[in-house]
Amino acid sequence: MKRLAAVVALLGLATTTAACSAGTDDSAGPGGGRIFTTIDASRPGLDASAPANPWNPKGNSFLGYNGMKLAWVKNDLTDPNQFYPGIAASWDIAPDNSSITLHIQPDAKWSDGKPVTAEDVRTSIGIAYTTGSTAFAITPGAAGTAADITIVNDKTVKITQDMKNPSVKFARGVLDNWVVPAHIWGSVLPATFWETLKTSRGEGAAADKARQEILAIGQKVLAFSPPKDVSAGPFTLERVNPGEALLVKNKYFYNAKNVAPTAVKFLNYNGNEQVWNYLSAGKLDYSGFVAAPTDVMNRIKKAPGSHVITGFSPVAVGMAFNQSKKPYDNVHVRRGLAYLIDRAQVTKVASPDGGTPSLTTSGIHQVPAKAWIGDELNRLDPYNHDVAKADAEFAEAGLKKQNGKWLLPDGKPWTVTMTAPSGFSDWVAAQENIKSQLIDAGVNAQVITVADYPVYLQGLSDGQYDVGFWLMALGPAPYDIFQRLYGASNGWTNVAGRVTHSAPGKGGNWMGGPEEIDVKGVGRVNPGELTAELNSASPEEAKPIMAKLAMASNQDLPAIQLWDYVNTTFTNTSRFTDWPPNDSDMLRLPAGVWMQLGMVKVKQ
Amino acid sequence: MSVLLESSSTTAAMRRNFWSGVWRVMRRKPSRLVGAVLMVGFVFMGVFGPMFYPDPLPRDVNQLTAPPSWQHWLGTDDQGRDVVALVITGSRYVLLAALVTAVITVVLGTGVGLYSGFKRGRWDTVLMRITDMKLTIPGLPLLLVLSTVWKFNSAVQMGLVLGLLSWGGVARAVRSQTLSLRERGFIEAARGLGLPTTHIVGKELLPSMAPYIAMNMLIAITGGVYAQVGLFFLGVLPYESNNWGQMLNTAVFRSGALTVPSGLGFLLGPLLAILLLTLAIVLVVDAMDEIFNPRLREE
Repeated sequence: MKRLAAVVALLGLATTTAACSAGTDDSAGPGGGRIFTTIDASRPGLDASAPANPWNPKGNSFLGYNGMKLAWVKNDLTDPNQFYPGIAASWDIAPDNSSITLHIQPDAKWSDGKPVTAEDVRTSIGIAYTTGSTAFAITPGAAGTAADITIVNDKTVKITQDMKNPSVKFARGVLDNWVVPAHIWGSVLPATFWETLKTSRGEGAAADKARQEILAIGQKVLAFSPPKDVSAGPFTLERVNPGEALLVKNKYFYNAKNVAPTAVKFLNYNGNEQVWNYLSAGKLDYSGFVAAPTDVMNRIKKAPGSHVITGFSPVAVGMAFNQSKKPYDNVHVRRGLAYLIDRAQVTKVASPDGGTPSLTTSGIHQVPAKAWIGDELNRLDPYNHDVAKADAEFAEAGLKKQNGKWLLPDGKPWTVTMTAPSGFSDWVAAQENIKSQLIDAGVNAQVITVADYPVYLQGLSDGQYDVGFWLMALGPAPYDIFQRLYGASNGWTNVAGRVTHSAPGKGGNWMGGPEEIDVKGVGRVNPGELTAELNSASPEEAKPIMAKLAMASNQDLPAIQLWDYVNTTFTNTSRFTDWPPNDSDMLRLPAGVWMQLGMVKVKQ
Repeated sequence: MSVLLESSSTTAAMRRNFWSGVWRVMRRKPSRLVGAVLMVGFVFMGVFGPMFYPDPLPRDVNQLTAPPSWQHWLGTDDQGRDVVALVITGSRYVLLAALVTAVITVVLGTGVGLYSGFKRGRWDTVLMRITDMKLTIPGLPLLLVLSTVWKFNSAVQMGLVLGLLSWGGVARAVRSQTLSLRERGFIEAARGLGLPTTHIVGKELLPSMAPYIAMNMLIAITGGVYAQVGLFFLGVLPYESNNWGQMLNTAVFRSGALTVPSGLGFLLGPLLAILLLTLAIVLVVDAMDEIFNPRLREE
C-alpha cells in the first residue's frame, strides 16, 4: 500500500512539474503571442541601469526595435543613398543634391499615443548636432553638412546642404539619424540652442564658444534618462535585468498589424562563446554576425531550424604599414611581403566563414570592385603567393639574406612586428598565421596585442606600430572606400573642400605614404586629392577615378588587402519564417527593421 | 688529522643515512616516487623540451582544431599545430615564470620573516605592518590593474611581479618559526658562546627552517603557475603565442572547446599539464614533510 502511495505521489509530482514547465514556455509572449528571442550583436553585456537612450553607448535602445531612425540604409553594392522607409515614409532629394525633403509616416505615433511630428524630427536633428553626426556636424568646413532645417508642415521637414563643401552622401547623413519624441527629449536642448547653432557656423571666438556649448550639451544628451521608454518603433522597452531585456509590441506603431512577435527578448552575453551556445541550442530566432570557427559553425547549422543567411559586407581587412618606419618605406619590401603571404591560408585560419580571400589589393571589396572598375581589376597584380618574386623584391629593396634569414640593408636583424587588439580573435589568429608563414620564408616576425580597439587605434594614430591590421574598402560610397587608404590616416584632410596633406607623424598621418605616386600607365597622381574628388563625383565620374586609385593602391601597397568580409546572419525557422533571402540588401539591418517592413512571420 | 677524518666520515655516514631515509620514505608510498618522476619530467620539459621542436612549430591548415588522433594525441590548435608540442614548448615560459615567482617569494618572505622575528622591536613592528598591508591587498584584482599599465614582456618580468605580490604569507610564517626557535636552548647556547648574528641566523636558524622554506617554495611554484595562467586565460596580458594560459584562452574563446568536442583536446592539454604539475608538487611536498619531520616517520 505504501509503495502504491509513493507511486501515486511521484506521478502527481511529475504532472505538476510538467504543468509548471508548460507555463514557463519561453516562446509564449504577452497575450499568448510569440516572443522573438535575439541578442544585440553590436554590444555585448546588457546594462540594467542604462537608460533607454539611443545615443548612450550602453543604452537600452535597440536599433530597429525601440530605436527608430528616419530611414534604414540598404546594403547596396555601390549606391550609399538607397534606403528603406523608417519614420520618414518618403523623401525628395533635389537634383543637385542641395536639399532633402522628408515626409513623415502619416500614421506614425509614439508609444504613448501622441503623433510623430516635424517638431520631433527637428528636435532629434538638434540632438544629433550635439553628439556628432555626418550631416549635422559642427566642425567648420566638414563635407556634406546641413545648412538649414525648415519645418514645412506638421509632417514635412526640409533640410538643405551647405554647398560650400557638398557630399554625395548628404541624404544618407540626414536619413541615418535617430528620432526621439520632442515632448520627452526637448528639455535637453536649451531654448537658445538654434541661435547657438547659428553662431557656431561663423568664425572667431564667439563661434568657438558656441561650438563648445553645443558639445557640452552632447554630454547631457548621453546621460539623459527618459522616465519611460517612449518609442515610435515596433516595440517599447518593458524591463531590463542583467540576464535579459524585454520589449513589448507598440500598438501605436504605424505598421503594427504586420509585426508578428508580441514581444522581443534580448539575451545578455559577454563573449562569442555564449552566443555560440545560444545558437547551438536553437535559442535565438535571430543574431547578427558573430565570428565562429568552422566546427562551431557546423554545430550551429545542425541546430533544429538553424538557417544561415549570407550576403555582401562592404568591409575588407588589410595589413597596413607605417611607412615612416624602415624598411616599410620601401615599396619593394611591402610588395615582397604581399608575395610571401598566402591570403587563402590566412583566411582559412582566421575567418573561414566570415571572409573570402581578397583577389588582390585594389582598395575595394571584390564584389563591388567589378562594378566600379570592371576589367581593370583583372589587370592588377594579384600578388599570388610566390616566394621567388618575394625574394626578388626583397633583394631589390637591398635586404640581405644570411643563413636563410632576411636582414636589413645594414645587416641588422629584421623583425616584422604586427599589432592587433586582443579582443579581435580573427585578427590575432591571422597575424599568428602570417607570423608562421613569414618565419618559414626567413622573415622573423612577432605578434603583439594591445588591450582593446580604442587603445589600438590610438597607438596606430600615434605611430607606435610598424604593421597593424586596418579595416578598408568601407563601401558603398566611393569616397568612404578610398579615404581608408588615402584619407586622414595617410595625411590628407578635406576641410571646406580644400585638400591638405600633413607630413608623416603629424595631423593623424600614421601611414606616412608618399604624397604623389608615379602609377604605371597613368602617370603621377596625388591619391589624396583623387579621393577627395570622389566626395562630390557622380557614379559615372567616380569610376575612372576609382580605377586610378585601385591601380595606385595595387602598385604602392599602403596596405595588403587580406580578406573581404562576408555578412553572415543567423536565424531560426522553428518559430518564425519569412526571412530575407541570401544577398538581400536588408542583411545588415537588424530583424526589427525586417519586422517593420512586414517580414518575419509566426510559423503556423 | 684523526679528528678531521672522523668528522668527514661522520658527515659521509649522515649523508648516506639521509639518502637511505629518503629512499625509505619514497618506497613507503610509491605515489611519492611518481611525484618525483613527474617533477623531474617537468624540469626536463622546461629546460630541454623546446629543443626537440622546430620554431615555428609545424602546422597543418587542413587540421585546424582537430580532435585527438594517433598523429596528434591531444589534437591540434586553431593554427593546426600539435597540442602536445605546444604544451611542451610552452612549458618553458610558464615554469620559468613560476620558478622566478617562487624564488622571489621565498627569498623576500624568508628575509623579512627572519629579520623581523630575530631582531624584534621596532623593525619587527614596521616590517610586520608592511606585511599586513601587503596581505590585505587582494592579488588577482591588483594583477588585473597592473596588467593595464605593465606589459609583462618576459617570463622573468612576469615572475618578478608575481613574486613581489606573494611573499607576505611566507614572511609571516617564517617570523613565527623564528620567534619560536630563537628561545630554544641551542640558540641561547650560540648566543652565550658569543657567536655572531650571521652565524646564528645562517648556521643555526636557517637550517632548522630549510625544509619548511623548501616546501613553501614548491607550493609557491603552483601559485605562480595558477596566477599567470589565469591572467593569460582572462586575456588581460599581451598575446604570447605559446603559453598554457594562452592555449586555454584560445581553446575556449577562439576554438569553442566548450561548445564543440573537437576542441576538447586543445583544452585538455594545458589543463592536464597544470594538473600533473600540481600533483607532482603535492606528492613531493608530502615526501619532504616526512623526510624532514622525525615525528612523521613511522620507523
